[in-house]
Amino acid sequence: MTLAIETNGLSKSYGPVRAVESVDLRVERGEIYGFVGLNGAGKTTTIRSLLGMVRPDAGSVRVLGQAVGPRGRGPWQQVGHLVEAPAAYPELTVRENLEIARRLQQIADAGAVARIIERLGLASYTDRKAGALSTGNLQRLGLARALLHEPALIILDEPANGLDPAGVVEIRELLQELARQKGVTVFMSSHILTEVDRLATLVGLIHHGRLVEELAADELDRLRARRLEVRARDLDAARRALAAAGFSVTAGDDTLLLTEARALDAPDEIARLLVDAGAPPTRLAVEEENLEEYFLRLTEQGA
Amino acid sequence: MNGLLPAFWAEALKARRSRAIWLTAAGFMMLPLVGGLMMIILKDPVRAREMGLISAKAQLAAGVADWPTFFGLLTQGIAIGGAIVFAMVTAWVFGREFSDRTAKDLLALPTSRAAIVAAKFILIAWWALGLALLVFAAGLAMGNAVVIPGWSADLTWRSFWAFLAVALLDLMLLPFVALFASMGRGYMAPLGWAFLSVFLAQIAAILGWGDWFPWSVPALFSGMAGPRAGDLGLHSYVAITLAFVTGLAATFFWWQRADHTR
Repeated sequence: MTLAIETNGLSKSYGPVRAVESVDLRVERGEIYGFVGLNGAGKTTTIRSLLGMVRPDAGSVRVLGQAVGPRGRGPWQQVGHLVEAPAAYPELTVRENLEIARRLQQIADAGAVARIIERLGLASYTDRKAGALSTGNLQRLGLARALLHEPALIILDEPANGLDPAGVVEIRELLQELARQKGVTVFMSSHILTEVDRLATLVGLIHHGRLVEELAADELDRLRARRLEVRARDLDAARRALAAAGFSVTAGDDTLLLTEARALDAPDEIARLLVDAGAPPTRLAVEEENLEEYFLRLTEQGA
Repeated sequence: MNGLLPAFWAEALKARRSRAIWLTAAGFMMLPLVGGLMMIILKDPVRAREMGLISAKAQLAAGVADWPTFFGLLTQGIAIGGAIVFAMVTAWVFGREFSDRTAKDLLALPTSRAAIVAAKFILIAWWALGLALLVFAAGLAMGNAVVIPGWSADLTWRSFWAFLAVALLDLMLLPFVALFASMGRGYMAPLGWAFLSVFLAQIAAILGWGDWFPWSVPALFSGMAGPRAGDLGLHSYVAITLAFVTGLAATFFWWQRADHTR
Protein backbone atom coordinates (compact mmCIF):
# COMPACT_ATOMS: atom_id res chain seq x y z
CA MET A 1 0.00 0.00 0.00
CA THR A 2 1.25 3.51 -0.77
CA LEU A 3 2.36 5.78 2.03
CA ALA A 4 -0.05 8.42 3.33
CA ILE A 5 2.69 11.06 3.25
CA GLU A 6 6.08 10.92 1.60
CA THR A 7 8.50 13.80 1.22
CA ASN A 8 11.97 13.55 -0.26
CA GLY A 9 14.50 16.29 0.39
CA LEU A 10 11.76 18.84 1.02
CA SER A 11 13.37 22.28 1.29
CA LYS A 12 11.88 25.76 1.39
CA SER A 13 13.43 29.16 2.00
CA TYR A 14 11.86 32.58 2.41
CA GLY A 15 14.57 34.93 1.24
CA PRO A 16 17.65 34.23 3.34
CA VAL A 17 15.65 32.23 5.91
CA ARG A 18 15.75 28.48 5.40
CA ALA A 19 12.39 27.41 6.80
CA VAL A 20 12.68 23.72 5.96
CA GLU A 21 15.77 21.82 4.87
CA SER A 22 15.91 18.37 3.33
CA VAL A 23 12.99 16.92 5.24
CA ASP A 24 12.26 13.26 4.45
CA LEU A 25 8.95 12.12 5.89
CA ARG A 26 7.42 8.66 5.62
CA VAL A 27 4.01 8.32 7.20
CA GLU A 28 2.27 4.95 6.90
CA ARG A 29 -1.49 4.73 6.50
CA GLY A 30 -3.37 4.52 9.79
CA GLU A 31 -0.49 6.15 11.67
CA ILE A 32 -0.95 9.05 14.08
CA TYR A 33 2.11 11.17 13.42
CA GLY A 34 3.02 13.83 15.97
CA PHE A 35 5.09 16.60 14.44
CA VAL A 36 6.89 18.45 17.19
CA GLY A 37 9.02 21.55 17.09
CA LEU A 38 9.61 24.95 18.61
CA ASN A 39 8.00 28.07 17.14
CA GLY A 40 9.64 28.80 13.79
CA ALA A 41 11.11 25.28 13.55
CA GLY A 42 9.41 24.66 10.20
CA LYS A 43 6.23 22.81 11.21
CA THR A 44 3.75 25.07 9.43
CA THR A 45 5.92 25.42 6.31
CA THR A 46 6.08 21.62 6.12
CA ILE A 47 2.31 21.36 6.56
CA ARG A 48 1.68 24.03 3.93
CA SER A 49 4.01 22.17 1.55
CA LEU A 50 2.09 18.93 2.14
CA LEU A 51 -1.09 20.79 1.17
CA GLY A 52 0.41 22.45 -1.90
CA MET A 53 0.05 25.92 -0.38
CA VAL A 54 3.73 26.72 -0.72
CA ARG A 55 5.98 25.45 -3.46
CA PRO A 56 9.14 23.72 -2.26
CA ASP A 57 12.46 25.03 -3.57
CA ALA A 58 13.68 21.46 -3.75
CA GLY A 59 12.39 17.97 -3.13
CA SER A 60 9.09 16.30 -3.73
CA VAL A 61 5.84 15.76 -1.84
CA ARG A 62 3.46 12.86 -2.33
CA VAL A 63 0.20 12.60 -0.44
CA LEU A 64 -1.83 9.37 -0.57
CA GLY A 65 0.35 8.27 -3.46
CA GLN A 66 -0.31 11.37 -5.55
CA ALA A 67 2.23 14.07 -6.30
CA VAL A 68 1.30 17.45 -4.85
CA GLY A 69 1.99 19.89 -7.60
CA PRO A 70 1.41 23.37 -8.88
CA ARG A 71 -2.08 24.77 -9.44
CA GLY A 72 -3.22 23.13 -6.21
CA ARG A 73 -3.13 19.61 -7.66
CA GLY A 74 -3.55 16.86 -5.08
CA PRO A 75 -5.92 14.22 -3.70
CA TRP A 76 -7.87 16.82 -1.73
CA GLN A 77 -11.15 14.87 -1.79
CA GLN A 78 -9.49 12.50 0.67
CA VAL A 79 -7.58 15.04 2.76
CA GLY A 80 -8.95 17.13 5.61
CA HIS A 81 -6.87 19.94 7.05
CA LEU A 82 -6.74 22.62 9.68
CA VAL A 83 -3.82 24.98 9.20
CA GLU A 84 -2.75 27.37 11.96
CA ALA A 85 -5.53 29.27 13.73
CA PRO A 86 -9.04 28.20 12.70
CA ALA A 87 -10.93 30.75 10.64
CA ALA A 88 -14.51 31.09 9.48
CA TYR A 89 -16.70 33.66 7.77
CA PRO A 90 -17.84 35.68 10.79
CA GLU A 91 -21.22 36.81 9.44
CA LEU A 92 -22.18 33.25 8.48
CA THR A 93 -23.59 30.73 10.95
CA VAL A 94 -21.84 27.50 11.89
CA ARG A 95 -24.20 25.60 9.59
CA GLU A 96 -23.61 28.00 6.68
CA ASN A 97 -19.83 27.84 7.08
CA LEU A 98 -20.01 24.05 6.96
CA GLU A 99 -22.46 24.15 4.06
CA ILE A 100 -19.89 26.15 2.08
CA ALA A 101 -17.23 23.56 3.01
CA ARG A 102 -19.57 20.72 1.95
CA ARG A 103 -20.14 22.26 -1.46
CA LEU A 104 -16.49 23.11 -2.02
CA GLN A 105 -15.58 19.55 -0.97
CA GLN A 106 -18.20 18.46 -3.52
CA ILE A 107 -19.97 16.16 -1.06
CA ALA A 108 -23.34 15.14 -2.50
CA ASP A 109 -24.78 14.00 0.84
CA ALA A 110 -26.53 17.04 2.35
CA GLY A 111 -26.81 15.24 5.71
CA ALA A 112 -23.03 15.38 6.19
CA VAL A 113 -23.24 18.84 7.78
CA ALA A 114 -25.79 17.83 10.42
CA ARG A 115 -23.80 14.69 11.27
CA ILE A 116 -20.49 16.50 11.79
CA ILE A 117 -22.20 19.24 13.83
CA GLU A 118 -23.54 16.51 16.14
CA ARG A 119 -20.22 14.68 16.28
CA LEU A 120 -18.15 17.74 17.17
CA GLY A 121 -20.61 18.87 19.84
CA LEU A 122 -21.66 22.00 17.95
CA ALA A 123 -25.41 21.28 17.93
CA SER A 124 -26.30 24.12 20.27
CA TYR A 125 -24.29 26.58 18.14
CA THR A 126 -25.66 25.54 14.72
CA ASP A 127 -27.35 28.87 14.01
CA ARG A 128 -24.85 31.05 15.83
CA LYS A 129 -22.69 33.33 13.70
CA ALA A 130 -19.08 32.19 13.59
CA GLY A 131 -17.97 35.67 14.63
CA ALA A 132 -19.69 35.14 17.99
CA LEU A 133 -18.04 31.77 18.75
CA SER A 134 -15.48 31.26 21.50
CA THR A 135 -11.94 30.26 20.48
CA GLY A 136 -12.65 26.67 21.51
CA ASN A 137 -15.83 26.43 19.45
CA LEU A 138 -14.11 28.08 16.50
CA GLN A 139 -11.49 25.33 16.79
CA ARG A 140 -14.30 22.75 16.81
CA LEU A 141 -15.74 24.36 13.69
CA GLY A 142 -12.30 24.14 12.02
CA LEU A 143 -12.04 20.47 12.99
CA ALA A 144 -15.60 19.87 11.74
CA ARG A 145 -14.60 21.33 8.38
CA ALA A 146 -11.51 19.09 8.30
CA LEU A 147 -13.52 15.95 9.10
CA LEU A 148 -16.70 16.76 7.16
CA HIS A 149 -15.88 14.61 4.14
CA GLU A 150 -14.57 11.64 6.15
CA PRO A 151 -11.05 11.97 4.75
CA ALA A 152 -8.45 9.21 4.64
CA LEU A 153 -5.78 11.66 5.81
CA ILE A 154 -6.18 14.49 8.30
CA ILE A 155 -3.49 17.16 8.55
CA LEU A 156 -3.89 19.27 11.67
CA ASP A 157 -1.84 22.18 12.91
CA GLU A 158 -2.19 22.46 16.69
CA PRO A 159 -5.59 20.71 16.92
CA ALA A 160 -5.87 21.19 20.69
CA ASN A 161 -5.49 24.99 20.51
CA GLY A 162 -8.15 26.86 22.43
CA LEU A 163 -9.95 23.73 23.62
CA ASP A 164 -10.78 23.28 27.28
CA PRO A 165 -9.40 20.15 29.03
CA ALA A 166 -12.58 18.17 28.33
CA GLY A 167 -12.44 19.24 24.68
CA VAL A 168 -8.80 18.14 24.41
CA VAL A 169 -9.71 14.66 25.68
CA GLU A 170 -12.76 14.53 23.39
CA ILE A 171 -10.74 15.41 20.27
CA ARG A 172 -7.98 13.00 21.27
CA GLU A 173 -10.51 10.18 21.58
CA LEU A 174 -12.11 11.14 18.28
CA LEU A 175 -8.78 11.06 16.44
CA GLN A 176 -7.81 7.76 18.10
CA GLU A 177 -11.17 6.28 17.12
CA LEU A 178 -10.78 7.44 13.50
CA ALA A 179 -7.28 5.95 13.30
CA ARG A 180 -8.19 2.66 14.98
CA GLN A 181 -11.61 1.99 13.50
CA LYS A 182 -11.42 3.60 10.09
CA GLY A 183 -7.69 3.47 9.40
CA VAL A 184 -7.54 7.25 9.01
CA THR A 185 -4.02 8.69 9.00
CA VAL A 186 -3.51 11.69 11.27
CA PHE A 187 -0.59 14.08 10.81
CA MET A 188 -0.63 16.65 13.59
CA SER A 189 1.72 19.30 14.76
CA SER A 190 1.56 20.41 18.33
CA HIS A 191 3.45 22.28 20.94
CA ILE A 192 1.45 20.50 23.66
CA LEU A 193 3.90 17.65 23.90
CA THR A 194 1.95 15.69 26.50
CA GLU A 195 -0.88 15.60 23.97
CA VAL A 196 1.41 14.25 21.24
CA ASP A 197 2.84 11.83 23.79
CA ARG A 198 -0.60 10.39 24.53
CA LEU A 199 -1.84 10.26 20.95
CA ALA A 200 0.97 9.72 18.46
CA THR A 201 2.19 6.36 17.26
CA LEU A 202 5.14 8.04 15.56
CA VAL A 203 6.82 11.29 16.59
CA GLY A 204 8.95 13.51 14.36
CA LEU A 205 11.06 16.23 15.93
CA ILE A 206 11.86 19.22 13.73
CA HIS A 207 14.45 21.78 14.75
CA HIS A 208 15.86 24.67 12.70
CA GLY A 209 14.01 23.28 9.66
CA ARG A 210 15.55 19.82 9.91
CA LEU A 211 13.88 16.61 10.96
CA VAL A 212 16.29 15.74 13.75
CA GLU A 213 14.63 12.58 15.00
CA GLU A 214 11.76 10.31 14.09
CA LEU A 215 10.69 7.76 16.65
CA ALA A 216 7.96 5.21 17.10
CA ALA A 217 6.10 5.63 20.39
CA ASP A 218 7.63 2.45 21.89
CA GLU A 219 11.09 3.48 20.71
CA LEU A 220 10.58 6.83 22.38
CA ASP A 221 9.72 5.04 25.61
CA ARG A 222 13.01 3.15 25.34
CA LEU A 223 15.10 6.25 24.63
CA ARG A 224 13.66 8.43 27.31
CA ALA A 225 16.10 9.00 30.11
CA ARG A 226 15.05 7.33 33.35
CA ARG A 227 16.37 8.05 36.79
CA LEU A 228 15.91 6.73 40.28
CA GLU A 229 15.12 9.46 42.76
CA VAL A 230 16.05 8.79 46.34
CA ARG A 231 15.17 10.81 49.41
CA ALA A 232 16.26 10.10 52.95
CA ARG A 233 16.27 11.97 56.25
CA ASP A 234 20.07 11.69 56.36
CA LEU A 235 20.81 12.41 52.71
CA ASP A 236 24.57 12.58 53.25
CA ALA A 237 24.72 9.13 54.85
CA ALA A 238 22.58 7.74 52.03
CA ARG A 239 24.91 9.24 49.41
CA ARG A 240 28.00 7.78 51.18
CA ALA A 241 26.37 4.34 51.35
CA LEU A 242 25.44 4.36 47.66
CA ALA A 243 28.89 5.62 46.63
CA ALA A 244 30.52 2.93 48.76
CA ALA A 245 28.43 0.34 46.90
CA GLY A 246 29.86 1.67 43.62
CA PHE A 247 26.87 3.69 42.41
CA SER A 248 27.37 6.95 40.61
CA VAL A 249 25.28 9.44 42.53
CA THR A 250 24.19 12.95 41.57
CA ALA A 251 23.06 15.02 44.50
CA GLY A 252 20.20 17.46 44.15
CA ASP A 253 18.87 19.87 46.80
CA ASP A 254 16.95 17.23 48.73
CA THR A 255 17.19 14.29 46.34
CA LEU A 256 19.80 11.83 45.14
CA LEU A 257 19.64 10.79 41.48
CA LEU A 258 20.86 7.46 40.07
CA THR A 259 20.79 6.73 36.36
CA GLU A 260 22.63 3.41 36.06
CA ALA A 261 20.63 0.46 34.79
CA ARG A 262 21.47 -1.72 37.83
CA ALA A 263 19.90 0.93 40.09
CA LEU A 264 16.87 1.47 37.84
CA ASP A 265 16.24 -2.24 37.48
CA ALA A 266 16.50 -3.03 41.18
CA PRO A 267 15.21 -0.21 43.37
CA ASP A 268 14.43 -2.85 46.04
CA GLU A 269 18.19 -3.54 46.32
CA ILE A 270 18.84 0.17 46.79
CA ALA A 271 16.21 0.27 49.53
CA ARG A 272 17.82 -2.69 51.33
CA LEU A 273 21.29 -1.15 51.00
CA LEU A 274 20.12 2.14 52.51
CA VAL A 275 18.28 0.42 55.37
CA ASP A 276 21.40 -1.62 56.15
CA ALA A 277 23.50 1.56 56.13
CA GLY A 278 21.14 3.21 58.65
CA ALA A 279 19.80 5.75 56.16
CA PRO A 280 16.43 4.32 55.15
CA PRO A 281 14.76 6.01 52.15
CA THR A 282 11.69 8.18 52.66
CA ARG A 283 11.00 8.19 48.92
CA LEU A 284 12.21 5.91 46.15
CA ALA A 285 10.82 6.42 42.65
CA VAL A 286 11.80 5.65 39.07
CA GLU A 287 11.01 8.81 37.10
CA GLU A 288 10.81 8.82 33.32
CA GLU A 289 11.66 11.82 31.20
CA ASN A 290 8.55 13.10 29.40
CA LEU A 291 8.49 14.05 25.74
CA GLU A 292 8.95 17.69 26.62
CA GLU A 293 12.13 17.04 28.58
CA TYR A 294 13.36 14.63 25.90
CA PHE A 295 12.67 17.20 23.21
CA LEU A 296 14.43 19.98 25.10
CA ARG A 297 17.43 17.72 25.77
CA LEU A 298 17.64 16.85 22.10
CA THR A 299 17.28 20.42 20.83
CA GLU A 300 19.82 21.73 23.34
CA GLN A 301 22.28 19.18 22.04
CA GLY A 302 21.54 20.18 18.45
CA ALA A 303 21.47 23.92 19.08
CA MET B 1 -13.48 24.30 -14.67
CA ASN B 2 -13.91 21.94 -11.75
CA GLY B 3 -16.42 23.17 -9.17
CA LEU B 4 -17.48 26.52 -10.62
CA LEU B 5 -21.10 26.12 -9.54
CA PRO B 6 -20.42 25.26 -5.88
CA ALA B 7 -17.79 28.00 -5.77
CA PHE B 8 -20.29 30.53 -7.10
CA TRP B 9 -22.92 29.31 -4.61
CA ALA B 10 -20.42 29.91 -1.78
CA GLU B 11 -19.50 33.39 -3.05
CA ALA B 12 -23.18 34.33 -3.45
CA LEU B 13 -23.98 33.22 0.12
CA LYS B 14 -21.06 35.23 1.53
CA ALA B 15 -22.25 38.30 -0.40
CA ARG B 16 -25.90 37.88 0.64
CA ARG B 17 -24.98 37.70 4.30
CA SER B 18 -22.63 40.68 4.20
CA ARG B 19 -23.39 44.29 4.92
CA ALA B 20 -21.15 45.29 2.00
CA ILE B 21 -23.94 44.63 -0.50
CA TRP B 22 -26.24 47.14 1.26
CA LEU B 23 -23.47 49.65 1.89
CA THR B 24 -22.41 49.73 -1.76
CA ALA B 25 -26.05 50.06 -2.88
CA ALA B 26 -26.65 52.87 -0.38
CA GLY B 27 -23.41 54.60 -1.41
CA PHE B 28 -24.25 54.37 -5.10
CA MET B 29 -27.75 55.80 -4.55
CA MET B 30 -26.02 59.12 -3.91
CA LEU B 31 -25.55 59.36 -7.66
CA PRO B 32 -29.24 59.71 -8.70
CA LEU B 33 -29.91 61.78 -5.57
CA VAL B 34 -27.17 64.28 -6.42
CA GLY B 35 -28.28 64.23 -10.08
CA GLY B 36 -31.84 65.05 -9.01
CA LEU B 37 -30.60 67.84 -6.74
CA MET B 38 -28.60 69.30 -9.63
CA MET B 39 -31.74 69.29 -11.79
CA ILE B 40 -33.73 71.11 -9.08
CA ILE B 41 -30.98 73.74 -8.83
CA LEU B 42 -30.62 74.16 -12.60
CA LYS B 43 -34.37 74.44 -13.01
CA ASP B 44 -34.53 77.51 -10.80
CA PRO B 45 -31.13 78.71 -9.48
CA VAL B 46 -32.65 81.83 -7.84
CA ARG B 47 -35.11 79.76 -5.80
CA ALA B 48 -32.36 77.26 -4.97
CA ARG B 49 -30.28 80.17 -3.55
CA GLU B 50 -33.27 81.40 -1.55
CA MET B 51 -33.89 77.90 -0.19
CA GLY B 52 -30.22 77.64 0.81
CA LEU B 53 -29.56 74.65 -1.48
CA ILE B 54 -26.58 76.51 -2.90
CA SER B 55 -24.47 79.35 -1.56
CA ALA B 56 -25.08 82.85 -2.86
CA LYS B 57 -21.49 82.77 -4.14
CA ALA B 58 -21.95 79.56 -6.16
CA GLN B 59 -20.98 79.80 -9.82
CA LEU B 60 -23.07 77.21 -11.60
CA ALA B 61 -21.52 75.60 -14.66
CA ALA B 62 -23.58 76.00 -17.79
CA GLY B 63 -26.28 73.42 -17.92
CA VAL B 64 -29.97 73.03 -18.34
CA ALA B 65 -32.45 70.99 -16.41
CA ASP B 66 -33.50 68.38 -18.93
CA TRP B 67 -33.29 64.65 -19.48
CA PRO B 68 -30.21 64.72 -21.80
CA THR B 69 -28.24 66.66 -19.14
CA PHE B 70 -29.53 64.38 -16.39
CA PHE B 71 -28.59 61.21 -18.28
CA GLY B 72 -25.18 62.78 -19.00
CA LEU B 73 -24.68 63.35 -15.26
CA LEU B 74 -25.61 59.76 -14.46
CA THR B 75 -23.22 58.39 -17.09
CA GLN B 76 -20.34 60.60 -15.95
CA GLY B 77 -21.16 59.71 -12.36
CA ILE B 78 -20.88 56.01 -12.98
CA ALA B 79 -17.54 56.48 -14.72
CA ILE B 80 -15.90 57.79 -11.53
CA GLY B 81 -18.36 56.40 -8.93
CA GLY B 82 -18.26 53.00 -10.57
CA ALA B 83 -14.48 52.96 -10.60
CA ILE B 84 -14.50 53.52 -6.82
CA VAL B 85 -17.58 51.52 -5.73
CA PHE B 86 -16.90 48.53 -8.01
CA ALA B 87 -13.31 48.53 -6.76
CA MET B 88 -14.65 48.43 -3.18
CA VAL B 89 -16.78 45.42 -4.10
CA THR B 90 -13.73 43.70 -5.63
CA ALA B 91 -11.54 44.58 -2.65
CA TRP B 92 -14.16 43.06 -0.36
CA VAL B 93 -14.69 39.87 -2.41
CA PHE B 94 -10.96 39.09 -2.64
CA GLY B 95 -9.52 40.95 0.34
CA ARG B 96 -11.89 39.52 2.94
CA GLU B 97 -10.40 36.04 2.47
CA PHE B 98 -7.14 37.42 3.84
CA SER B 99 -8.49 39.71 6.54
CA ASP B 100 -10.76 36.87 7.80
CA ARG B 101 -7.85 34.42 7.32
CA THR B 102 -10.08 32.09 5.29
CA ALA B 103 -7.91 32.08 2.14
CA LYS B 104 -5.95 29.05 3.40
CA ASP B 105 -9.19 27.03 3.44
CA LEU B 106 -9.73 27.63 -0.29
CA LEU B 107 -6.46 26.19 -1.54
CA ALA B 108 -6.45 22.41 -1.01
CA LEU B 109 -9.94 21.43 -2.15
CA PRO B 110 -11.52 19.30 -4.87
CA THR B 111 -12.94 22.59 -6.15
CA SER B 112 -10.09 24.09 -8.13
CA ARG B 113 -8.50 27.41 -7.26
CA ALA B 114 -9.31 28.58 -10.79
CA ALA B 115 -13.01 27.89 -10.13
CA ILE B 116 -12.89 29.87 -6.90
CA VAL B 117 -11.23 32.86 -8.57
CA ALA B 118 -13.62 32.65 -11.55
CA ALA B 119 -16.61 32.48 -9.18
CA LYS B 120 -15.38 35.62 -7.43
CA PHE B 121 -15.08 37.49 -10.73
CA ILE B 122 -18.54 36.32 -11.85
CA LEU B 123 -20.03 37.50 -8.54
CA ILE B 124 -18.29 40.89 -8.89
CA ALA B 125 -19.67 41.25 -12.43
CA TRP B 126 -23.25 40.47 -11.30
CA TRP B 127 -22.90 42.70 -8.25
CA ALA B 128 -21.60 45.63 -10.31
CA LEU B 129 -24.21 45.12 -13.00
CA GLY B 130 -26.94 44.99 -10.36
CA LEU B 131 -25.70 48.23 -8.83
CA ALA B 132 -25.57 49.91 -12.25
CA LEU B 133 -29.15 48.84 -13.08
CA LEU B 134 -30.34 49.97 -9.66
CA VAL B 135 -28.75 53.39 -10.12
CA PHE B 136 -30.21 53.81 -13.59
CA ALA B 137 -33.70 52.79 -12.40
CA ALA B 138 -33.42 55.14 -9.42
CA GLY B 139 -32.24 57.85 -11.83
CA LEU B 140 -35.37 57.41 -13.96
CA ALA B 141 -37.55 57.66 -10.87
CA MET B 142 -35.66 60.75 -9.68
CA GLY B 143 -35.89 62.46 -13.10
CA ASN B 144 -39.64 61.85 -13.11
CA ALA B 145 -39.99 63.10 -9.55
CA VAL B 146 -38.24 66.42 -10.21
CA VAL B 147 -40.14 66.83 -13.51
CA ILE B 148 -37.64 67.77 -16.20
CA PRO B 149 -38.38 68.21 -19.88
CA GLY B 150 -36.97 66.45 -22.93
CA TRP B 151 -37.81 62.81 -22.22
CA SER B 152 -38.17 60.37 -25.06
CA ALA B 153 -38.05 56.61 -25.21
CA ASP B 154 -35.29 56.78 -27.81
CA LEU B 155 -33.13 59.08 -25.65
CA THR B 156 -33.68 56.84 -22.61
CA TRP B 157 -32.71 53.75 -24.58
CA ARG B 158 -29.55 55.34 -26.01
CA SER B 159 -28.60 56.76 -22.63
CA PHE B 160 -29.16 53.39 -20.99
CA TRP B 161 -26.73 51.66 -23.37
CA ALA B 162 -24.14 54.41 -22.96
CA PHE B 163 -24.51 54.14 -19.16
CA LEU B 164 -24.15 50.36 -19.31
CA ALA B 165 -21.15 50.62 -21.65
CA VAL B 166 -19.35 52.87 -19.13
CA ALA B 167 -20.20 50.39 -16.34
CA LEU B 168 -18.74 47.57 -18.44
CA LEU B 169 -15.59 49.59 -19.17
CA ASP B 170 -15.24 50.13 -15.40
CA LEU B 171 -15.68 46.38 -14.91
CA MET B 172 -12.79 45.65 -17.27
CA LEU B 173 -10.43 47.46 -14.90
CA LEU B 174 -11.38 45.41 -11.84
CA PRO B 175 -9.03 42.41 -12.32
CA PHE B 176 -6.13 44.68 -11.34
CA VAL B 177 -7.97 45.56 -8.14
CA ALA B 178 -8.41 41.82 -7.47
CA LEU B 179 -4.71 41.29 -8.13
CA PHE B 180 -3.76 43.99 -5.61
CA ALA B 181 -6.19 42.51 -3.05
CA SER B 182 -4.59 39.09 -3.52
CA MET B 183 -0.96 40.17 -3.55
CA GLY B 184 -1.54 42.72 -0.80
CA ARG B 185 -3.58 40.15 1.17
CA GLY B 186 -6.29 42.48 2.35
CA TYR B 187 -8.20 45.69 1.66
CA MET B 188 -5.59 48.43 1.82
CA ALA B 189 -3.64 47.67 -1.37
CA PRO B 190 -6.70 47.37 -3.69
CA LEU B 191 -8.38 50.49 -2.30
CA GLY B 192 -5.11 52.39 -2.54
CA TRP B 193 -4.77 51.27 -6.13
CA ALA B 194 -8.39 52.24 -6.91
CA PHE B 195 -7.86 55.83 -5.75
CA LEU B 196 -4.43 56.04 -7.37
CA SER B 197 -5.80 54.79 -10.70
CA VAL B 198 -8.57 57.45 -10.66
CA PHE B 199 -5.92 60.08 -9.98
CA LEU B 200 -3.62 58.75 -12.71
CA ALA B 201 -6.57 58.65 -15.12
CA GLN B 202 -7.12 62.38 -14.53
CA ILE B 203 -3.45 63.13 -15.08
CA ALA B 204 -3.34 61.07 -18.28
CA ALA B 205 -6.47 62.84 -19.58
CA ILE B 206 -5.01 66.27 -18.77
CA LEU B 207 -1.76 65.39 -20.52
CA GLY B 208 -3.71 64.28 -23.58
CA TRP B 209 -2.77 60.60 -23.28
CA GLY B 210 -6.08 59.50 -21.82
CA ASP B 211 -7.11 57.61 -24.94
CA TRP B 212 -4.05 55.38 -24.50
CA PHE B 213 -4.41 54.94 -20.75
CA PRO B 214 -6.95 52.19 -19.89
CA TRP B 215 -8.00 53.80 -16.60
CA SER B 216 -8.99 57.03 -18.41
CA VAL B 217 -11.15 55.30 -21.01
CA PRO B 218 -14.44 55.00 -19.01
CA ALA B 219 -14.38 58.69 -18.05
CA LEU B 220 -13.53 59.77 -21.62
CA PHE B 221 -16.27 57.53 -22.97
CA SER B 222 -18.77 59.05 -20.52
CA GLY B 223 -18.07 62.49 -21.98
CA MET B 224 -16.35 63.94 -18.93
CA ALA B 225 -13.60 65.42 -21.08
CA GLY B 226 -15.81 66.90 -23.76
CA PRO B 227 -17.76 65.11 -26.47
CA ARG B 228 -18.01 61.41 -25.84
CA ALA B 229 -15.53 59.18 -27.61
CA GLY B 230 -13.86 62.26 -29.09
CA ASP B 231 -10.31 60.97 -28.86
CA LEU B 232 -11.16 57.36 -28.24
CA GLY B 233 -10.35 54.94 -30.99
CA LEU B 234 -9.72 51.28 -31.52
CA HIS B 235 -6.37 51.69 -29.73
CA SER B 236 -8.23 52.79 -26.56
CA TYR B 237 -10.42 49.69 -26.54
CA VAL B 238 -7.40 47.49 -27.26
CA ALA B 239 -5.60 49.12 -24.31
CA ILE B 240 -8.48 48.53 -21.89
CA THR B 241 -8.92 44.95 -23.17
CA LEU B 242 -5.20 44.36 -22.59
CA ALA B 243 -5.52 45.70 -19.04
CA PHE B 244 -8.50 43.39 -18.49
CA VAL B 245 -6.78 40.27 -19.83
CA THR B 246 -3.47 41.02 -18.07
CA GLY B 247 -5.17 41.63 -14.72
CA LEU B 248 -7.29 38.51 -15.07
CA ALA B 249 -4.36 36.29 -16.07
CA ALA B 250 -2.13 37.69 -13.31
CA THR B 251 -4.81 37.13 -10.65
CA PHE B 252 -5.39 33.54 -11.75
CA PHE B 253 -1.63 32.94 -11.95
CA TRP B 254 -1.10 34.36 -8.46
CA TRP B 255 -3.74 32.09 -6.89
CA GLN B 256 -2.36 29.06 -8.73
CA ARG B 257 1.35 29.63 -8.25
CA ALA B 258 2.15 32.02 -5.41
CA ASP B 259 3.30 30.83 -2.00
CA HIS B 260 0.27 31.05 0.27
CA THR B 261 1.80 31.74 3.62
CA ARG B 262 -1.23 33.37 5.27
